[in-house]
Amino acid sequence: MTRTRSRRSVLAGTGLAVASAGCVGRVRNIVGRERSDQLTLEVLTLPADSDPNAVRIAQHLRGHMSEAGIDARINTVDQAELLRRSLLNHDYDIYVGQFPQAVPFEADSLYSFVHSRFAAESGWQNPFGFTELAVDDLLGEQRSADTERRMEHLAELQEALCELQPLSVVAFPDAVTAYRDERFDGWEFGHPTSAQGLLRLSFIPPEERDGEDDGDEDADEPATLRLTTTDDRITENWNPIAAEYRRHGTFMSMLYDPLVRRHDDGPLPWLAAGWEWADAETIRVDLRDADWHDGEPLTADDVAFTYEFLRDTSSGEAETPVPTPIFRGRTTIPETVTAIDRSTVEFEVGSVNTAVAERALEVPVLPEHIWRDRTELVNIAGIALDEETTEALVSPNDEPVGSGPITLVDATAETEAVFERNSDHFLLDLDPLDPAAEGDSEDDTTDERPGEENGTGQDDTGGTRRIPNAFRGKPSFERLVVEVVPSDIAAVQQVGDGLADATLSNIGPEAVPRIGREADARLVNVRSAAFYHVGYNVRRAPLSNPRFRAVLASMIDKAAIVDDAFQGYAAPATSMLAASPGLVPEDLRWDDDRGTDAVHPFRGRDGELDVDAVREAFREAGYRYNAEGELLSRDQ
Amino acid sequence: MSVLLSVILRLIFWVGVMCFIAGIALIGPRRLYEVAHEVVPILRDAKVPIAGLLVVLVASAVGRGALQTLSELVGFELTGAIFALEGNFVGWIQANFVTTEATIYFSWIYIYGYVFLLVFPFIAYAALPKTTMFKRLIVAYALNYAIGLVIYTLVFAHGPRNLDVATSLLYSFNPDFQALTSEVNENTNVFPSLHTSLAVTAGVFGILTRREYPIWVWLSVWLAVSVMISTMYLGIHWLIDVIAGIGLALACVYLSYRLIEDEDGAREPDDRPDELAAEPTDGAAVAGDGGD
Repeated sequence: MTRTRSRRSVLAGTGLAVASAGCVGRVRNIVGRERSDQLTLEVLTLPADSDPNAVRIAQHLRGHMSEAGIDARINTVDQAELLRRSLLNHDYDIYVGQFPQAVPFEADSLYSFVHSRFAAESGWQNPFGFTELAVDDLLGEQRSADTERRMEHLAELQEALCELQPLSVVAFPDAVTAYRDERFDGWEFGHPTSAQGLLRLSFIPPEERDGEDDGDEDADEPATLRLTTTDDRITENWNPIAAEYRRHGTFMSMLYDPLVRRHDDGPLPWLAAGWEWADAETIRVDLRDADWHDGEPLTADDVAFTYEFLRDTSSGEAETPVPTPIFRGRTTIPETVTAIDRSTVEFEVGSVNTAVAERALEVPVLPEHIWRDRTELVNIAGIALDEETTEALVSPNDEPVGSGPITLVDATAETEAVFERNSDHFLLDLDPLDPAAEGDSEDDTTDERPGEENGTGQDDTGGTRRIPNAFRGKPSFERLVVEVVPSDIAAVQQVGDGLADATLSNIGPEAVPRIGREADARLVNVRSAAFYHVGYNVRRAPLSNPRFRAVLASMIDKAAIVDDAFQGYAAPATSMLAASPGLVPEDLRWDDDRGTDAVHPFRGRDGELDVDAVREAFREAGYRYNAEGELLSRDQ
Repeated sequence: MSVLLSVILRLIFWVGVMCFIAGIALIGPRRLYEVAHEVVPILRDAKVPIAGLLVVLVASAVGRGALQTLSELVGFELTGAIFALEGNFVGWIQANFVTTEATIYFSWIYIYGYVFLLVFPFIAYAALPKTTMFKRLIVAYALNYAIGLVIYTLVFAHGPRNLDVATSLLYSFNPDFQALTSEVNENTNVFPSLHTSLAVTAGVFGILTRREYPIWVWLSVWLAVSVMISTMYLGIHWLIDVIAGIGLALACVYLSYRLIEDEDGAREPDDRPDELAAEPTDGAAVAGDGGD
């Protein structure tokens, strides 16, 4: 608008001069050129109430961008809206957010995150619109290579991504949890607020608690695990494939059992009793005997349906497939999924390596009898609105029917969600004192994958692993209540006051010291894999230019952010895989002595930007400044 | 929920005590006693404004969630624009003027002082011989809420504490208060500051009734100014929200005078300010839609 207006005013002002002087051609040549305006970029993030850390990273970057002459704006929206814009609508310039997986993830997660084949899709698959053939090749090769070659490909891949910066990794946060251990025990192991962490907790009956004089008060009450969060989405939506409503998918993965659950030391057979390689390219999965929450039996057909449905939620009704905005990398691994009999499923995975193949089994299994009716394209009052969205993706799924260890009982929007233990779940029937359970493998059947690429050190014994003792006979809570509180400080307060057993959502550095001041509250922190990052919409100029992104990346002082914003409760990082240090090549590891990024070192010192250096870098990359020191944009 | 309940009970207790003391001191025990027996006729006389206020309050309580969703979908996102316009003003206030005493004072003002400032005029104006001011006060409150609700829906913005421009001093000092404020408000309802507009409304009414309650003028203006500062000091509102709140308050007082005419001019309890009386009439109808 301003551009047109200014041109018009120039035209009006020069009209008379043109008519009299007669140099029409020259004037047309001048005013016919579009003038450049200052570059405007918006940084989208969450308000401090929802995430005390993200907004600080956003402010850090915004401030530095302003110093560099960019008209940088900050915009805060709610959690669902942030994901809706960045993942579903691609309607953003720059966002600051977290990776969706909190527990250290398989390196193949990068496949869907940055592969160009997903650039046109909506969801966690390539929200940046990043397209780079060399990266695509490496992503493909790491899927099929054997362990050693795969390491090399992954190293090369990380180097390429660090160089090209479709996103800038900032830091891996410490997931800080405030908890009290008088009613539940077992918070110290691993990620206490992940599905695995919550499932392994042990309830302490009132008579066994020490120092409890009012123990008889809740003697008759069911064993209720009470958690607080600032994230109210769990009180409104229980759709496991609605990406904008999911954070780490903790409760979804407890409502909907996956075939295989990722555990600290490798994949754990879950809904699958076990799996074996039928031949070099086929995995055969044996299902446990299980029922859906509504009493229907869970069969191999449900599993086969799930994979087909996740790849096209319209089941062929739409012109082009409508895939889910989540689990996309995993559903592209198997070529076909076939039900052999009632409890056996075969996955044809082609030439992918074992680690990647097993990752394909980590998706929630959905009941066919519920979801097959949700394939029509969305409409409001019969008018089709969107060719690319199905009912399945927009349904709040308010009566979730899964097969997992919990069921939804009741929910009040923005207030609380109440779950109950699924008394038919297989975990409850397992004997916790089974001596054989701790062994890695109890039967002698080998599930070695036929073919010569085996024996390279991959853990191929996972298929027959038994459920560890910690999960046997669990969950030991009968009810699980998630209560929404307005801020991290209020969440800690709830735990301190004995109104909750633990906090679920992020706790900012200002709330952390409060945990220590509360008499009965304790603190546990685990390095989360859900790294904070700055995502660039590379569909938009000038963010499409890797040189421009490289200069932006060099304006982020990761070490200073960790010190100031996170108060040390985070680790700065260069690579997305820093949560699995073994996969990160030496030169991409964070070096505290160097104190800055290895690939795009911070241009400045101690959080202070060296403005001249940044401006020089922009000029070198081909960008121009006007007399007022504003960075100009031609293509915006 | 017990946190919320205890906060509410504390609030009711302290505001009750303050109203009682102020009532004895400013209205006088005898008149106060009389008013207690005239409650029904006074309320009946003001039934239309009261109904209007109740409608607005109920609509706010019931429709807030839906309006919030609407605001997310179609509202103007002004967080960035407000911040770009005024910058670190609120952060500057906190950087330069924060002391423990001031934080305790302004936290107290934000919750207790504010509620007392809004509630006491009900009693004070009910005790006047005529109900005109009583009705005007109710109409002005209702208009504040109604217009505020409309603007909240149109404007989607977070406050300075949510942008890390300022520290959330109120909730760091008194986490319990957030249980209350989150019940009655969304964290995206910052523009305009209704705290400011309602407090300024009560303050302006205090000035307009200076003849009846000469001491209340000073008390109400002091409280209103304190509330205004507290919203920024505590990191909840932007300066722009506060300015908009003042504007809204003046508009609502003006409109309340347009809507509630004095019944008989002879014994008008106060002199209508010239600048208010001289305003042209357009605009009254628009806001009247929202208020009644």
